[in-house]
Amino acid sequence: MQVIKNTSINFYGARKVAYALSLVLILAGIASLVVKGLNFGIDFKGGTEVVLRFDHDIEAADVRSVLREAGLGGSVKGYGNDRSILVQSDFEGDLNQLKTLISSAIDDRFPDNAHELMRIDSVGPSIASDLKWAAFKAIAGALAAILLYVAIRFEFRFAAASVVAIFHDVLIVLGLFSILGGVFDIMPLTVDLSIIAAFLTIAGYSINDTVVVYDRIRENIKGGKPADYERLFNESINQTLARTVITSGTTLLVVIVLFIFAGPAIRGFSFAIMVGVLVGTYSSVFIAAPLVLDWNRKFGRAIHLRGS
Amino acid sequence: MKNNRFTGILITALTALALWSLWPTWQDYSYSRKITGFTTVEDSLKYHEEHREQIEHAAEKSLKLGLDLKGGMYLVLEVDLVDLLRERAWNKDAKFEEIMSVVEQKSAGVNTHIISLLQEEFQAEGIRMSRYFYDVRDTDEEIVGKLEREASQALSRAKEIIRNRVDQYGVAEPVIQTQGARRIIVALPGISDQERVRKLLRGTAKLEFKLTRDRESLLDALERINAYVQSAPSEIGAAEDTENPLYNHVVVMDNGRAYVPDYSREMLQKLFQQDVMEKLLPKDSELAFSARTIEGRDAGRYHDLYMLKKTPELTGGVITEAKATFGASALQPEVTMKMSSEGTSKWARITGANIGRQIAIVLDGAVYSAPVVESKIPGGSSVINGIGSLEEAQDLEIVLKAGALPAPVRIIEERTVGPSLGADYIRSGLLSSSWGLFLVMVFMILYYRKAGVSADIALVLNVLFVLSVLAGFGAALTLPGIAGLVLTIGMAVDANVLIFERIREEIAAGRNFRMAVDNGYSKAFSAIIDSQITTLGAGFLLYIYGAGPIQGFAITLMIGTAASLFTALVVTKGIFDLLISRNLMNEKSFG
Repeated sequence: MQVIKNTSINFYGARKVAYALSLVLILAGIASLVVKGLNFGIDFKGGTEVVLRFDHDIEAADVRSVLREAGLGGSVKGYGNDRSILVQSDFEGDLNQLKTLISSAIDDRFPDNAHELMRIDSVGPSIASDLKWAAFKAIAGALAAILLYVAIRFEFRFAAASVVAIFHDVLIVLGLFSILGGVFDIMPLTVDLSIIAAFLTIAGYSINDTVVVYDRIRENIKGGKPADYERLFNESINQTLARTVITSGTTLLVVIVLFIFAGPAIRGFSFAIMVGVLVGTYSSVFIAAPLVLDWNRKFGRAIHLRGS
Repeated sequence: MKNNRFTGILITALTALALWSLWPTWQDYSYSRKITGFTTVEDSLKYHEEHREQIEHAAEKSLKLGLDLKGGMYLVLEVDLVDLLRERAWNKDAKFEEIMSVVEQKSAGVNTHIISLLQEEFQAEGIRMSRYFYDVRDTDEEIVGKLEREASQALSRAKEIIRNRVDQYGVAEPVIQTQGARRIIVALPGISDQERVRKLLRGTAKLEFKLTRDRESLLDALERINAYVQSAPSEIGAAEDTENPLYNHVVVMDNGRAYVPDYSREMLQKLFQQDVMEKLLPKDSELAFSARTIEGRDAGRYHDLYMLKKTPELTGGVITEAKATFGASALQPEVTMKMSSEGTSKWARITGANIGRQIAIVLDGAVYSAPVVESKIPGGSSVINGIGSLEEAQDLEIVLKAGALPAPVRIIEERTVGPSLGADYIRSGLLSSSWGLFLVMVFMILYYRKAGVSADIALVLNVLFVLSVLAGFGAALTLPGIAGLVLTIGMAVDANVLIFERIREEIAAGRNFRMAVDNGYSKAFSAIIDSQITTLGAGFLLYIYGAGPIQGFAITLMIGTAASLFTALVVTKGIFDLLISRNLMNEKSFG
C-alpha cells in the first residue's frame, strides 16, 4: 500500500498562507494567555488535590455543596468517570485534618454511597516555585542544545529556523491549553509537571521531523546553484512527505490510544502531545524549511552544509 | 555471509539477555498468582514457606513498580537550615533577628546557596559575620566555609536519621535521598497509616530534661502577660475592652496549676514565642504545654501549662537505649531510657541536687511528664510517661533510638496514592500499551507487507529491551513511564519508516532489489542518527531537570529511542539479509 507517491506540492509557494495561519494561531494563543492565562495545577502554584471515588455515581455539584458547608474552599469537579471527584483547594497544613474533614462531611451526607480517598497530593508554595524554575531550565536547556546540535550538523540558519519552529509548536499548544483550559470536564487541561514533559517531547518530536527534511535538503543541495534552491527545497519536502505523514500517523495512533485508555491522570499530557505532533508535522513542512530559504534569499549566500 | 552470522548471534544474545533479565518478573508474577489462587490461607502460607527463597529472589530482581502504580507515599522534606544557622549563632540581637528573617524570606523556594544568601545579607548590612558566628578572628570566607560544611553535614545526618526511623518502622524498599542543599526525598511504597508516618518523619526528636520553675513565679508571670495583652489585645484576638483577656484562654486552679484548652494552644504558643516574653518572664525561662490533654469538668480537652528553665539540664544525646513498655502500676504505655556513662553521672548529679523539685521531660518542645525527683538516680535510667497509646510509645522509641534531627524538617510536598488507584493505573497502562502496540503493528503490516512484519519483530524486541533494561537496572516503572513506553511504540517505527520509504524510492528509481535495500539503509542512516539524537537529548534534559514522576517518562523514552536505533538498523537489516539470501523477498515485499 502506498498513500503518498510522487507528490510535487509547492510548499515553498504556500509559505505565505502558512506563515499567516501560524501567526493567527499564535496570536490567538498569546491573547488568551494574557487575558485568561493558564490553568496551573498544584505542581506550580501549591495547594492540595484529593481524588475521591464513590461506590455509585455521584454529582460533583452535590459534593461541592457538602464541602462548602464543611468550610472547604476550592474547586470540586468530576474526574474521568461518573464515580470520581477531584477536589482542588489551597489547603495547607495537616493533611490528616483535611482527610477527616472531607470524609466525615461526605459520610454524613451520603451514607449509602461509600467513598475512598484514592489520591492526595499536596505541594507547598516554596517547592512549587522551585518546580517552575526547573521546568523553565529544562525547556531553555533543550532549545539551546538543539540549536547547538543542528548548527553543528547543518548550519546556523537551519538551526535557528528549527528553533523558531519549536517555539511555534510549543506556543500553539500552550495557547490551545489556555483557550480550552477548563472548558471540557473530561479534560481540564491543567498545566502540571507532566505537561512540561509533554512540551519537551513535542520539542523533541518537532526537531526530529524537521531534521529529516533538512537531511534530505542536505543531500539534494550538493552542487546545486542558489537559483535551484526553491525547486530543491520543494523536492526534498515532497520526497520525505510519505515518511513524515506515516510517522506522524503511527505516533498519533498511540497518542490517541493513550488519550482514550490511559485515564484522567495523563489525559492533558496525551492531548498536548496529540496537538504537538500535528503542529510539529505541519511546522517542519510549512515553516522550518521555507524559513531557511527565505532567510537565504534575503542575504543571498550559498548554502554550505556540514555533515552528511 | 560471515557478517550475517555475527548479526544473528548478536540479536539472539541480546534477546536472551533481555529475557533473562525479565525472567524474575515472570516468576514473581506466577508465584503471586499461585499464592492468591489457593483456596485456603493455610495452603498459600505453606506454599510461601516452601518456596520462600525463590519467591524472595524473584521479587528482588523483578521489574519494580513505582509508587503511583503500587500505592504509597512520596514526600519531600525540607531541612530548616535557617533554624540551624540561628542555633549556631551567639550574641544574637535584634539586628541579627532582622537579618535572619530577611534570609528566611529570600530562601523560601530556594534549594541551593542558603549560606551565600546569608553572606550577601551580611555584606549588604556591612556587618562582619564573625560578630555572630564562630570566632571573632575568622574572616567571612572562613565562616561561610564552616557553615557550608555544617549545613551539608546536617543534611546528610538528617537523611541518615530519617532512614533509621523508616527502617525501624519497617517499610519495604524505601527510597531516601537528598536533593539540592536542603531537601530529602522519601518514597514509601505500600504505606497505609500516613498520619503516623508523617509524625514519625517530621518530629525533630529533640529530647531535653528541664527544671520547672515554681508555681508562684508561673502565676506572677501569667499576671504580667495578662497586663501586656490588655495593652495589646489584638495579640490574643480579644476585643479592646476585655478585662483579663489572657484568662479567657488560661484556667488557673486553686492548687496553682494552670491549664490551657486545646483550641487555644496554637494561638498562645505564638504569643509565648514573641520577643516581649523575655521581659515578662523571669530570666532564662519559657512556657511549655503538656503533650497530652486531660479532660476538664466541661468535657473539653486541656493542656497543662508549665514554666521551665530554658537551659536544659541534660539533652537526648546521652540516650543510648529506649524501649516502649507498659508501666508497672497503671498499665500506661511508657518509654524507658538508658543513658551513656557520661550522661549517667550527670543525671545522678542533677537528680541529687534537685530532690523535691520537678524535672520536665520535654520532647520537641512539649512536656511529656514532669515527675518530682524523690531521690538521686545513680543508674542512668529515666522514663517518659504521659503517652497516649502503645503505638505512640513505639514511635517514640524509634525516634529516640534514631537520634535527634540536627534541625527541624518540614514536609513541603506530599503525594499519596491509594492501592486501588495504583491497580487502576496498571490496568489502563496495560490496556493502552497493548492497544498501541497492536494498532501500530497492524498498520505496519498493512502498509509495508513483509517488510512491515520485520519492523513489527523489531518493535516487539524494542519493547522487550525497554522493560528488561528497566528491570536490570532496578528502575521503577511508573504511569508516566508507561506513557513513555506507549509513545516509544509509536515513534520507534520511525527509523524503519525512513528506511522503507527510502528503499521504495530506490526501487522506483529502477535499482536492482539488493542494491535498493542496501542504499535504503545507508542513505537513511544520517537522517536517523540526527533525528534520534535530538530526541535522546530532549529525554536526557527531562531526566536531569524533571522531578520524580517525569524522570520515569524520560527514562523509558531514552531507552526506547536508543533501542530503536539498534532494532531498526541491525535487526530489520539482519532479517532482510536472511530473507533475501533465501530468495524469500523481492520488490513486492515492500508493499
